[in-house]
Order: sequence, then C-alpha cells, then structure tokens
Amino acid sequence: MLQPTNVPERPQRHVGGWWGPAVGVSALGFYAAVTAEGTPGREIGFNADHPWAVYAFMAALVGLMGYGFVRHAGLWMVGRPTPGLLREIPHRLRNAARLGLAQDKVRRDRYAGIMHWCIFSSIVVLTIVTAQVAIEADFPLKFLHGPYYLFFSFYGDLFGVIGLIGVGMALYRRYFSDFHRIRWDERVEDHLIILGLGLVLLTGFLLESARILVTELDQHPDWAPWSFASYALALGLDVFDFSEGQILWLHTWTWWVHITMAFGWLGLIVFTRLDHLFFAPVNAFFLRTDSPGRLAKIEDIEQQEVFGVGYIQDFTWKQLFELDACVRCGRCSEVCPANIAGQPLSPMHLIQDLKGHLANVGPAIQRHQHETGEIGREVSSVALVGDVIKDETLWACRTCGACVQECPVMIEHVPTIVDMRRFLVMNEARIPATAQAALENLEMRGHPWRGTALERTTWMEGLGDVPIFDGSQEYLYWVGCSGSLVERNLPITTAVFRLLREAGTSFGVLGQEETCNGDPARRLGNEYLYQILAQQLIETFKAKNVQKVITNCPHCFNTFKNEYPQFDGHFEVLHHTEFLAGALQNGKLVAKHTVATNVTYHDSCYLGRLNGVYDAPRQIISMVHGANLTEMQRNLSKGLCCGAGGGNMWQEEVGERRVNHVRAEEAVRTGAESVISNCPFCIQMFEDGVPAVHPEEEGRMKPFDVAELLEQAVFGPGAR
Amino acid sequence: MHIVVCAKQIPDPETPPSAFKIDAANNKVIPAQGIAPVLSQFDGIAAEAALRIKEANAGSKVTVISMGAESAQAAIKQVLAMGADEGVLLNDPAFEDGDSHTTATVLAAAIKKLGDVDAVFCGRQAADWDMGQVGLLIAEDLGWPAAIIAKGVTTGGAGLQVTRVLENGFESLEAPLPAVVTVSNEFGEPRYPKLPQIMAAAKKTVTNWKIADLGLDAGAVGKAGSRLKLERLFIPEKGGKVELMEGDTPQAQAAALVARLKAEKIL
Ligand SMILES: Cc1cc2nc3c(=O)[nH]c(=O)nc-3n(C[C@H](O)[C@H](O)[C@H](O)COP(=O)(O)OP(=O)(O)OC[C@H]3O[C@@H](n4cnc5c(N)ncnc54)[C@H](O)[C@@H]3O)c2cc1C
Ligand code: SF4
Ligand code: SF4
Repeated sequence: MLQPTNVPERPQRHVGGWWGPAVGVSALGFYAAVTAEGTPGREIGFNADHPWAVYAFMAALVGLMGYGFVRHAGLWMVGRPTPGLLREIPHRLRNAARLGLAQDKVRRDRYAGIMHWCIFSSIVVLTIVTAQVAIEADFPLKFLHGPYYLFFSFYGDLFGVIGLIGVGMALYRRYFSDFHRIRWDERVEDHLIILGLGLVLLTGFLLESARILVTELDQHPDWAPWSFASYALALGLDVFDFSEGQILWLHTWTWWVHITMAFGWLGLIVFTRLDHLFFAPVNAFFLRTDSPGRLAKIEDIEQQEVFGVGYIQDFTWKQLFELDACVRCGRCSEVCPANIAGQPLSPMHLIQDLKGHLANVGPAIQRHQHETGEIGREVSSVALVGDVIKDETLWACRTCGACVQECPVMIEHVPTIVDMRRFLVMNEARIPATAQAALENLEMRGHPWRGTALERTTWMEGLGDVPIFDGSQEYLYWVGCSGSLVERNLPITTAVFRLLREAGTSFGVLGQEETCNGDPARRLGNEYLYQILAQQLIETFKAKNVQKVITNCPHCFNTFKNEYPQFDGHFEVLHHTEFLAGALQNGKLVAKHTVATNVTYHDSCYLGRLNGVYDAPRQIISMVHGANLTEMQRNLSKGLCCGAGGGNMWQEEVGERRVNHVRAEEAVRTGAESVISNCPFCIQMFEDGVPAVHPEEEGRMKPFDVAELLEQAVFGPGAR
Repeated sequence: MHIVVCAKQIPDPETPPSAFKIDAANNKVIPAQGIAPVLSQFDGIAAEAALRIKEANAGSKVTVISMGAESAQAAIKQVLAMGADEGVLLNDPAFEDGDSHTTATVLAAAIKKLGDVDAVFCGRQAADWDMGQVGLLIAEDLGWPAAIIAKGVTTGGAGLQVTRVLENGFESLEAPLPAVVTVSNEFGEPRYPKLPQIMAAAKKTVTNWKIADLGLDAGAVGKAGSRLKLERLFIPEKGGKVELMEGDTPQAQAAALVARLKAEKIL
C-alpha cells in the first residue's frame, strides 16, 4: 500500500550478469558430451612444429608485463602513502568481485555491458582453453580426451563466438553508429585493440577449422560438429577442394599469425588502456568503503606545509594508480552537469590530463626523490593547478558524484578535484570573487549568505511557541543557514516545523545559536575554515546533549551524518523527508486533504546519489491524494545536479549554459505543474532556472519542497 | 618603504535591520548580540594597496595600527593574515568615545612613535560613521601631504603616484614621501589570505600601546578631547499611511484623489 505509483526501477545491482545463460548452455554441452560414444581426442600441437615459439612469446610477454608494471608502479610511488587501504578486506574483496569481475557498473550502459561481457568472458574462457592445451601438451597430466574433449571443443567455440559477437558490437558502435562519447578522445590504440582482438578470434577459428579439415571431418565426423563454429567453417572450406598440403600450409601460416597476434594483443595491455584488465578490479578493491558524500579530513592541518594538492606527488598513490585505470570511455563526462552545460570541466579529460602530467614529470620526480629523499615539489616548472588543470575547471565541479557513480573502473574524481581546490584556496588564495565573498562571510558572520536582511529567528514569527532545544527533547530540528536566512526557504522551514509539531514530535531548535556547520567551506576547498566551524558546532551539540538531528537541507544532513564522525561527532541524523515519511507511515501524520496536482521530482545529489535516500520523498508524494508524479528522464542515481553543488551556489558560472537552465528544461519537459525537491539550493536554482527556460508567467512550473506539498495535504491547501 | 595601515573595527554593516538597536538615552549603538564586529571594508582595501606596494618594492614593511577595544585584535590579525608584518593595538579607556580629531591625534602619536614611517594608508572613510576625516587629520598632525579617495597607488616619481577619484573623472598626483593616502573601493578587492599566512599571523604578537606609551595627555584624547558633540542618536522611523478616497462612484473617487494630490502639491 505504500508503494509509490510510478517509481522506475533502480539501476540493477545483482551480481553475475550474463554468466548465467552462458554457463547454462555449456552445461547442456557437457551433458551431451558425457553421453557421447567413443574416445575422442586429438593430437596436441598438430602440425605446429614450433611449440617453443609459444613459450618464447610467453616469456617475452611476461618480461614485458614485468617491465610495464615496474614502470607504472614507479610513477604511482611518487605519491603520498594511502591510509586505510587494507582495512575492511572482506568488503573490498566483495567490491573487487562485484564491480571488477561482475562489472556491475559497466552494465549501467546496457549495450556496453553486453558487449563488454562478451569480450571479457571470451578472453577469460579462451585463456583457460589455451592453458589446458598447454598443460596437455607439456605436462604429464592428460585430460583432453573422451567426453571432456568434446565438451572442451564445444565451449571453446561457444566463447569464441561470444567474443566475436562482442567485437562485432564494438565495431558497430565505433564505426557505424553516431555514438559520440567514444570519440571524445579516440586514439590509434583503440582501433588496434578491437581490430586485433577480432583477428585473433577469427584466425583461431580458421586454425581450428583447418585442423578439423585434415583430422576430423572425414575420420571422426561425429566429433567434428562439437566445435560447431570451426566445423561450419571447415565445411565451407571443404567446398574448395584444397589439397591436404595446401591446408597444412594454410594451417601453419594461420598458426603463426594467430600466435603472434594473440601475444601481440596481450602485449597491448602494457602500453594501452587494455591495462584496465588488471587495474579495474584492483581499483575496485581500493574503492573507498565509507560514504561517497564524505571528503577526506586533512589531519593536523596546522602542521602542513602544503594544503591540498598542488603538485602531482601530493596525491596519494591510490589517486595516481587510478589514473592508469581510466579507459577514456567518457561515461563520466557524459553525465557531468558542468560538461553537459558546456562549462570548462570534463572529468574524463581531467583524469587524462593528470595521467599525462604524471607521465611527463613523474620520472624526474622519481629520480629526485630517490636521490634526495625529498618530495621534490620544485622539480617541474609546469604548475599542476593552473597550467595542467585550469582554475575554472576546478571551480566548475558540483561534487555531485555523477562521474564517480558511472565510472566503470571505479575512479573517484571528486576527492581528486577537491584536493586541488584546497590547494587553490588555502595555498594560493585564488578564488572567484563571489565564492570568496561567501567564504569571508562564513568567517565573519558564520553563514554564507552575504547581505541577508533576515535573522536566524525571523521564520519563527507567527508560529506561536517555538521550542528551543535544551537537551530534554528527543530531536534537534536543524534549520540551517539557507532555511533561515534566504527568503524563499522560510516557507519550507515553517512547513517542516508545523509538520513536526503536528506529528507530536519531541523537538527543539537552536535559533540564534545555529552557526554554519562548515559544508560550504569544505566544498569550496577551505578545509581549515571547515574544521574550525565543524569543531565549534560539534562542541555546541555536545554541550546541549544533542543525540538526534532532523535537517532541512541535504548538505547539512550529509555533513552531520558522514563528516562529523571524522571529528568525533556522532549523531543520529535524519533528513526531514525521512522523518516525515516515517510519521506518515506510523499514522502520526495524516494527509487528509486532496492536492490535485501533477508534479515531477528532482533528486538532490546530496540526498539521492551520495546518501541513497530515493524512496522517502517519493513515498511522501505517493501518499498525497491527488498528487501525480511524472519522473524526469534522468532520475534516481542518474539524476542531474541542479547546478548549485560544490559551492557553485556562490559562484558565477562560466560556459555556454547554466546548469540550472538545463535541469529546469528537463523538469519543464515533463509537463508537471510543480517540480518537487528536498533541498533549499535546488529550490533556489529552480526558482531562477524555470523562468529562464519558460519566460511566460502563465502556466509556469513552480518549485516546491516535499514538505510544502505535504503541508498542504495535512493542513489543507492554502492553510498557512 | 615602511607603510602604516590604519584599520578600524566597526559593528557589522550587514547586521540585519531588525537586530540593530540603539541606546537612545546614552546616544550609543548597542552591539548586536551574536554579531561580531568586522574590519571596516575600506581599510581592507587600504591594506591591499599597501601590500601591493610591499610586493613591488623589496625590503618594504607594512604595519597595521588600530585604535579600539581588545576585540580589534581580530581586525589586526586579519590584515596580518593578508600579509602585513606587524600589528599595533591602541587600547586604553582614555581613548574611548572620541571623535575623528582625537582618533587622529592618537593614531598620529603612534605613527610618530614608530618613527621610520614613509607612508600612512587609511580607508576613504570608516564604514560605520562615514566621517572620512581621520586620514586628513593624521596628515595635519604629522605635517605630511595627503591624497584622499585614491583608486590607484604605486611607487614612482617623487615618492608615490596616486590616482584620485573625482566627481566626474580621475586626477593623477605625485606625492613626496612621507605622505598620507586614503584608499577608495575603486582600488579593487582585498585579497583572500593564504592559509600559511593565516597561521603565521595567528602566531604573531600584537604590540599594545597605552596612552602613557604614546605620551599623550588624557585631556586631548577620547571623550575629554572631543570637539564634536553628538546631539541625538536615533533610528529614522519609516512608515506608510493609507487614505481611502471616499465617493459613491468611481468618478467621484477619482475626483477626490485628484483634489487630494493637488493639495499635497504632487499634481
Ligand atoms: C557622531 C559620533 C558618534 C560616535 N559614537 C561612538 C560610539 O558610540 N562608540 C565609539 O567607540 N566611538 C564613537 N565615535 C567615535 C568614532 O569611533 C570616531 O569618530 C572614529 O574612530 C573616527 O571617525 P570615523 O570612524 O568616522 O573615521 P573616518 O574618518 O571615516 O575614518 C577614515 C579612516 O581612518 C582610519 N581610522 C578611523 N578610526 C580608526 C581607528 N579607531 N583605528 C585605526 N584607524 C582608524 C581608518 O583607516 C578609516 O578608514 C563616534 C563619533 C561620532 C562622530
Ligand atoms: S562531481 Fe559532478 S560536476 Fe564534478 S566532475 Fe563529477 S560529474 Fe562533474
Ligand atoms: S574516468 Fe572512468 S568514466 Fe571517466 S573516462 Fe575514465 S574510465 Fe570512463
């Protein structure tokens, strides 16, 4: 009964993917094989009179990979130590399995998911196939005969075909579709990888069919069809009536081509993005185990020499490692609000630029560190922040986490970007004027809203008795700076207040004693100011014996919930939508009035993507009689930022468009009368964005908070 | 080059109107609760001007001076964090409740005590009382030339090159050293302090000078020395009044409105 009406599916999360069907088909094959008659088998190394070549290639490959690894590792090691990577090993192993091997994130793009699974599973299985051949040939263990041989032939061919399907899909996407993002940074290696793999698979089939032609087609017609694809190819070749000598010649040459290409292709791992084969699962293992909404704390900030990251070697080696995992797929940039709006940030290019810079200056830094034992910040004359990564690029980031969410190789862009922002702000003091004003205001007045004429108690007027929190109540209702000092948000604050009171909640507010919790400072890169503000507020909370907090704002919510524990502030934190959905469920609030309206719902990044609260607000909307929800195309974890995140609330945007105009357009397109959100910033961005994309006042969509909608349903329309 | 920046701490000009209270009986502003005083905006700009000269001239030094309560330390620290070298606080009950003239007397005495000062930079006016007097009066006291309301200051020529803002244009001057300059908002924004400097500033000790250190006579400073007397301090009352025009028909109401407007001499 509480099911929201038209909530779309969550992005899939189950492990395993398409292994199921493939294993199923193989099992059928296995059954058929064990029930077959005779003792099938074949001569290993048939007609290939240079098996030593395989081992020579193998040795070369291993040597090459060793070299590649040492070279890469040397570059990673110029970075700082990475704390905590070996904590929570089981969780990390699960991540490596789920995100690395099962490729959960790759499948967020369905087409790529199928394609990638085909190629991946084919390479894995065919490597196992090859290894078995090698064992059979050169070790005393003999097992490639009888039913298993037939089964072996079958699944070898099956995964060869699956691989070709994957290659075909890749070729289609790259050469025959207008799929834009893989061409954002296309390189020669991309063609080599896909064409090379295709040729390796094709020559493999050719080789097999040549052998079948000579040894099985006539001799063992009941074995041959097990290698169904090669068998078909052999039948095709048979038509031409080649002599046995010709076929053997073909076989020899194909063998050489196949073996050279196969090892050559594997060699690409060392030099191209194919290295993600190893780096992606390892990076999944390294993936943070805490909330993506949390930024790292700079420990002992007063003792630091450099604040944030201004030199490539100031990153942790994990941050440098993950640069190597990037496959230039463009998924991050495709969902990046800044990039979508034509602003100077593309997370993919940012990662690639960092990678390029590391390759350029890394060796010199490595040498310097080796010789002097110092960090070597003066080694390169190219400035990381400013030259390699432009200031405006760092400022354009909303810390919305969309890039991190989509990245198939688990790169975490946000901490990397914020680290550089920290350098920009704390070390260099290079800040856009409006952001600087917000920071100064935080320092001087304890809130970011310069020029507000409101007080923290203004919203209380006309509400009767507003309880001040004194430790005797269960909840602290945290209003926040935006909830009290920005005119538009006052009705939201009062709505939440009235609903809390109606539900008989034991709560109080801090009123004049509220001060900013520091979130804008941290997002804008001023970690020092953040720590001061956070520590102050945590002391206040503790002094007042605050245990549970209900917040108006998802940013406050995220800070209290995910970041205050870094400063030993442990509180139970609820966003108002969570609390109100609960109150509706247990009957403390009754939405007795009908509010006939068509709405759409915007997931704020800090409530949705970064904290996974998707259901509560939708539940509330579904409980309001008459409210009809139409989802926007980008929603839930794929929702687009309103544009305000990451301190962009206080910045002038640079670029083609403003993010809030883009998002407002998407909301308007649903045809809803109002766009419902849960965040004061989002509401402000829509208040500004909707009129810009819908100039006529008549019938213009209106932004509301979930609480404002619920207030109408509980107290009656216009009941304020 | 040694530049002194005079920096005043004032009640936050962004205090919400509803929180701004005065003590009418004593003609005083009641400090708003929970709203900390701030560095007067123009003095931050004066500091920026001084620091840019310091950066352009190796071996220069900037000292920031403030006369005020103990809380004015914060204003001094702020300018130190921007990059000033030393800070001096002039805090003495005898200095309290003065006027522009006594303020200038105290500041000038401190500048004399510092000795080797080449230039004094003030804000064009303090953003609370907006008198715009102190800079000129310091110059008077010291017998130095003064260039006020500057939008640009650099070293050069005889000493300083100053561009002043006039009502309908600019004026370029050259001033010999030592000199006093008051800096206007047209100069540009003050810098955002770098964290290493904030930390360095936090460790610096601010010199504290009392009336005795300056060798001043208690009768010449503070309330005792003031020549300006504040008659009455009050918050202007804003209000609106509604008068509804009587009349049975719209025409009659319109006629009444016209008559009324004429009576007020609006029409
Ligand atoms: C009507 C009236 C009422 C007053 N009431 C009070 C009161 O209630 N409480 C109170 O404390 N004082 C009061 N004063 C005194 C007031 O603080 C002085 O007038 C002030 O210090 C100098 O005037 P100003 O602020 O207008 O400076 P301006 O002449 O406008 O200032 C120009 C520049 O001089 C420098 N400067 C000015 N004052 C200082 C300072 N103290 N330290 C360092 N640099 C400085 C700054 O660089 C400033 O930008 C009052 C003055 C007047 C005229
Ligand atoms: S966090 Fe959001 S704005 Fe920043 S780079 Fe990632 S997608 Fe773009
Ligand atoms: S960072 Fe991740 S999502 Fe972005 S291009 Fe690289 S691999 Fe793709």
